[in-house]
Amino acid sequence: MKGNVIKYDRDNIDTDVIIPGQYLKVHDYAELATHAMEGLDPDFHSKVKDGDFILSGKNFGCGSSREHAPIALSHSGIKAVLALSFARIFYRNAVDGAFLLPIEIDKDAYDGISEGDEITIDVSTNEIKNITKNQTYHMKPFSEIIGKIIAAGGLFKYKPDQD
Amino acid sequence: MGRTLFEKIWDSHLVVEKQNNPSLIYIDRHLVHEVTSPQAFDGLRINNRKVRRPDLTIATMDHNVPTTDHSLPILDQTSSVQIQTLEKNCKDFGIKLFDIASPNQGIVHVIGPELGITLPGATIVCGDSHTSTHGAFGALALGIGTSDVEHVLASQTMWLEKPVPFEIRVEGKRKNPHAVTAKDIVLSIIKNIGTGGGTGTVIEYRGEGISDLSMEQRMTICNMSIEAGARAGLVAPDEKTFDYLRGRKYTPKNFESLVDTWRDRLKSDNDAKFEKQFVLNIDDIVPQVSWGTNPGMTCDVTETIPSPDEFSKGDSNQKKGAEKALDYMDLKPGTFMEDIKIDRVFIGSCTNARLEDLVAASKVIKGQKISSNVKAMVVPGSQLVKKQAEELGLDKIFMDANFEWREAGCSMCLGMNPDILSPGERCASTSNRNFEGRQGTGGRTHLVSPVMAAAAAIYGHFVDVRKMDLN
Repeated sequence: MKGNVIKYDRDNIDTDVIIPGQYLKVHDYAELATHAMEGLDPDFHSKVKDGDFILSGKNFGCGSSREHAPIALSHSGIKAVLALSFARIFYRNAVDGAFLLPIEIDKDAYDGISEGDEITIDVSTNEIKNITKNQTYHMKPFSEIIGKIIAAGGLFKYKPDQD
Repeated sequence: MGRTLFEKIWDSHLVVEKQNNPSLIYIDRHLVHEVTSPQAFDGLRINNRKVRRPDLTIATMDHNVPTTDHSLPILDQTSSVQIQTLEKNCKDFGIKLFDIASPNQGIVHVIGPELGITLPGATIVCGDSHTSTHGAFGALALGIGTSDVEHVLASQTMWLEKPVPFEIRVEGKRKNPHAVTAKDIVLSIIKNIGTGGGTGTVIEYRGEGISDLSMEQRMTICNMSIEAGARAGLVAPDEKTFDYLRGRKYTPKNFESLVDTWRDRLKSDNDAKFEKQFVLNIDDIVPQVSWGTNPGMTCDVTETIPSPDEFSKGDSNQKKGAEKALDYMDLKPGTFMEDIKIDRVFIGSCTNARLEDLVAASKVIKGQKISSNVKAMVVPGSQLVKKQAEELGLDKIFMDANFEWREAGCSMCLGMNPDILSPGERCASTSNRNFEGRQGTGGRTHLVSPVMAAAAAIYGHFVDVRKMDLN
């Protein structure tokens, strides 16, 4: 995967800023996407491109269990969120629907990658390459089953009996 | 080696165990509401699946419902559609629904316990993060997303990475229980361990400061476990737990024999190992008020707002977060919490809208009028809470003080129904999240206890309720 980074240089990006509660009645995912990150960054919808990544600090996706949060980001074009840590329900929701990859990074990657940098993510080698800055970082590997769910394309496509 | 209460519940629900991976666990109770379930039912239909255990699944409508007269049509079309969709889904799949006209309708985390659906030692899930509330009964109660809702509907199981046990001890007994409430205890905990302090854990709340609490107060504590990032929070069941559940509408027929088992088994062994521990002394806790945009940004009502440097203790992201929060909240460091003026008061939500909460707030309000600059509302957590409160005359006390007295629902906790703040409005709220825009775009939320909210309504600003006669 290759794309450009939108960086939110802070911790605790919550689900209410990712997709405010008033839009939880919206069932059209394309429309939902137009309100993604509205609470934090009103320009997000105009600047995000298909294939982009979000980079942020600790506890990304804290708060509500709304699956609308990874759905809104995914349908905006976001393919992965790289964060120092994730709130567990958001992480799980992202994986379950294979909406986007929740990638746990370390401080080197967090500090090294800037807004707009072009990066590649290789989940087979757990490597993140910063093409803009010619740097390489490591991501935390997915656990085996999480990796399989992601590879299968979501919870309902994963066949545990094949293990 | 001994096991923690969480580990005992986990072990007894394992279907498939995987080391260092999610395991498959059995789910005893599934609570459903209108917002996080429509796509799950759609998924079942597309794949021609049934609900595996409709008898273990219970639904209600709470997030969208207006808190004005429930017999009137719902004006918001999208809300109306979501509510009708739940009605259809429950009918099609044979699920018990407490609809808007039901005397048992209410916030899902209020009605589960009050109907006796929530039981000790059970695994309980709901497509709502505040499912942690049910942990007050010694249940393992988890908030899940819509895909997992579908998975549980279809299979009565879910994949879960095993959380680690986290012991939080609250030592000592409250000297001023009317003023220092469960809300103040849990806000103090989150202030100390941070909004990510419980990530990947199940918190067990222990110590005299917890066992001393009523069931409703324990629910307030467990409810906000998610605000510390925990997967769940629980309290070992005791006689208070069993007394609360005895004789409720859906309490099982073999309740007394279950109690014998629960009393015997549902506690952490003396030699159980907790991966993390945190201890708080109850004497250090005073009434709390949040000043920022996450529940960890909280201080004592006697304090002033910290500067970003003081708050962040050298962490650059925390500092940026505090700066942004103060800007959003339009507050300046050094301001005394008691000098912050408010426009609105919301007493409600799954955190603090049970009968004891309303009784406590009514004692502050009785015979008084709210400040002329303040609009205030009470939204009972369920229709049953509303009925019981009205039997005690609480509706009259609140309305005489110029509070609005509403029908049950989630209401202004999350701004999905018409009950929202206007941009810039400042609210003393008994809810659980002070995130930007949570109670309405541009709205500013201060999290407090019901008595603190009631006192703020009267004075028009925060006051230390320890100065008031609350007996």
